[in-house]
Amino acid sequence: MNKTLTASPSRRLPINLRDAGTLFGLVLIFAVFAALNPVFLTGPNLINILQQSAINACIALGMTFVIISGGIDLSVGPTAAVSVIVGATLMIAGVPIPLAVVAAIATGMACGLFNGTLVAIAGLQPFIVTLGALSLYRALALIFTGGNPIFGIPTEFRQAINSLVLGVPVPVIIVAVIAAVLWVVLNRSPLGEYILAVGGNQEAARIAGVPVARTRITVYVLSGGLAAVAGLILTGRLGAADPTMGNLWELDAIAAAAIGGASLMGGKGSVIGTLMGAVILGGLRNGLTLMNVQAFYQLLATGIIILVAMLIDRATRGKA
Amino acid sequence: MHGLLGENGAGKSTLLNILSAVLSASEGQIIIDGEPVSLAQPADARAAGIAMIHQELQHIPALSVAQNMFLGRPLTQAGGLLVDRGSQEQRARQVLADLDPSIDPRAPIHTLKVAQQQIVEIARALFDDARIITMDEPTSSLTPSEFESLAALIARLAARGVSIIYVSHKMDEVFRVCQRATILRDGRYIDTVDLSEVSEDQVISRMVGRDIMQEGHVSHARPEVVMRVEGLDDGRLIREASFELHRGEVLGIAGLVGSGRTELLRLIAGIDRVRQGRVVLNGNPVDLRSPRHAIRSGIGLVPEERKKDGIVRDRSVASNIALPCMGRFTRHGLVRRKALRAEATPLMKKMGMRPPDVTRAIGTFSGGNQQKAIIGRWLAADVDILLFDEPTRGIDIGAKAEIYALIEALAKSGKSIVVVSSELPEIIRLSDRVMVMREGRIAATLAGAEIAEDAIAANAIPKSRRPDKIPAQPIEALS
Repeated sequence: MNKTLTASPSRRLPINLRDAGTLFGLVLIFAVFAALNPVFLTGPNLINILQQSAINACIALGMTFVIISGGIDLSVGPTAAVSVIVGATLMIAGVPIPLAVVAAIATGMACGLFNGTLVAIAGLQPFIVTLGALSLYRALALIFTGGNPIFGIPTEFRQAINSLVLGVPVPVIIVAVIAAVLWVVLNRSPLGEYILAVGGNQEAARIAGVPVARTRITVYVLSGGLAAVAGLILTGRLGAADPTMGNLWELDAIAAAAIGGASLMGGKGSVIGTLMGAVILGGLRNGLTLMNVQAFYQLLATGIIILVAMLIDRATRGKA
Repeated sequence: MHGLLGENGAGKSTLLNILSAVLSASEGQIIIDGEPVSLAQPADARAAGIAMIHQELQHIPALSVAQNMFLGRPLTQAGGLLVDRGSQEQRARQVLADLDPSIDPRAPIHTLKVAQQQIVEIARALFDDARIITMDEPTSSLTPSEFESLAALIARLAARGVSIIYVSHKMDEVFRVCQRATILRDGRYIDTVDLSEVSEDQVISRMVGRDIMQEGHVSHARPEVVMRVEGLDDGRLIREASFELHRGEVLGIAGLVGSGRTELLRLIAGIDRVRQGRVVLNGNPVDLRSPRHAIRSGIGLVPEERKKDGIVRDRSVASNIALPCMGRFTRHGLVRRKALRAEATPLMKKMGMRPPDVTRAIGTFSGGNQQKAIIGRWLAADVDILLFDEPTRGIDIGAKAEIYALIEALAKSGKSIVVVSSELPEIIRLSDRVMVMREGRIAATLAGAEIAEDAIAANAIPKSRRPDKIPAQPIEALS
């Protein structure tokens, strides 16, 4: 209804309005920290922020696709843990590293397939399915390892993750490549059209001949695979595969997606927005740490940022 | 008792919504008993003595009759902490005793008949000492005998001094119930008439403004049978539905609400599970497992509830059109947006979409334009069979004529069409043959000169519920 108020709807902007809003928030927060602390806006620290945001961004991108389709994936943290434990176990057993990495990602995708099947075929609610899966996958990781981290990750793998390419950390490059591919998928591929249609109006999409079940399963498989990638990055940085890895990752990922413009009602979301959302959260933490703000207050700031972002979102979108 | 008349989209419901402050007026004022009143929110309207009985009844199905009547303003005990169910039920019974004593205040409201649910709404309005009750298409889900009870009830309310604004597009009802009527067209006031001084035809011509119904019907049906529906059964409502559809034919399906028209279309479109029977298209059985399969065989549905089942609101017209045939617009795994736009734009222009910008979100267009986009979707997917469920519901008059012309042009081009409609003039205007459904079965098939309002109505009304057989209890209770 309020759409009629939007000026010149036929003109296409290079970046959509919602993403521009997120960018504005990002610039604002960075400007504030730059004014408060001279170190914040230096090259090394910015690289640092990207590095620190990479894992959340990776998870949040998968989460964005699930959210756009009208679902939610609470099981990303435990999915990452299960995946890296499979990967690490294989690496230590002498399986070639690329193969172990593929196995880890395949494990994450299998977790997603399980979630997606329960959601799309059995018709259970995404929140409940992935809440159950959250406990299930965590338990599998803990039972398999007896609760102990797996040490002795091969040096080659750790070096690969911790090296720089043209001064940019490998995790940042991995996530950038993933984001670029996902941008194309969402904005230029039939799958993207289907995901947006299913999330926008599932019943209308079904009647229009969209393969709804297949589309919904695909987003969970994607989310699971990306959780595994995020887990592998952390494993490379820590040098150990921890079965308790990824606790509360889902919340940061949902926050990044929501700040970036994903609607939990489905049908809306942006790859670029989510990336910026992750960087906003990462930058906020980095800046507050630089200023020696206590961790408790950092949590407070994160909460406020999320709520303020949502209020602004609501106000600019109107009440419909 | 005042009638409010107008075609779909004339602005009747909008006007009522302003009266009950669901929507706000941008200009003008409302005067009650000589005093201008300002209605900023629904509570104001209630305080001013205006109550609205909605077309789609508004209540919470699982709660009891009494709970629904006191929704939002419960009678309380223990200092306001607890709901006093006993008193609520007692008061509900008092009010209902006047209207329909057979309604049990403790029964969950969804167990009542629609007509009784309506009575509960009216009772609710009486609680508020409503002086003005507005009724929006109150008979859309009622049988003729239930309408008789409602008419009697309305007369009784009027005798008590309650004023009633009765909205309908059914002439006979308005003439039965009301003394005066105001006619709206395209959101504008046309005239207020004394119903004892004018004829139905005079009112209709002012409502419609032009004679869109009068054009002669031309059949494009060819002898070749395209689709055969054989003993379709969903195990719930639809029983052994069988019929044939010819190339270029427009087959109308008439019947009361709940007679299974929509359900039958949904079975053929692969949306709902088929228990028995099959659909044969061009000699091959259609896979009815999903809409996707049915579409692949060449069957597309233009659903009744556009917002719920038709469009993805925030996506562009082009995206909405491309959904069934995304593969055709894809190369190397990527959507060819230019090609899609190049095909969708002339298609929508030809159908008279305004503005013809297919990159705009479909939700920003009017109902008529949205409907054109949904039809465009099936043209792009090149289906042979188009199923229309209430094709002109919620569409303004101008677009309605365009949709009719479009359906006729489709038939002429060799598409075969099934149209479900509750508007008899629409069915009669469009159809080569008319199938009348009654309680899940195909009760009759009319062709040529047999197609007439009385023949359709005679076959549509279930025998056991015909008005001459049922002595409607509420009437007796009231007299």
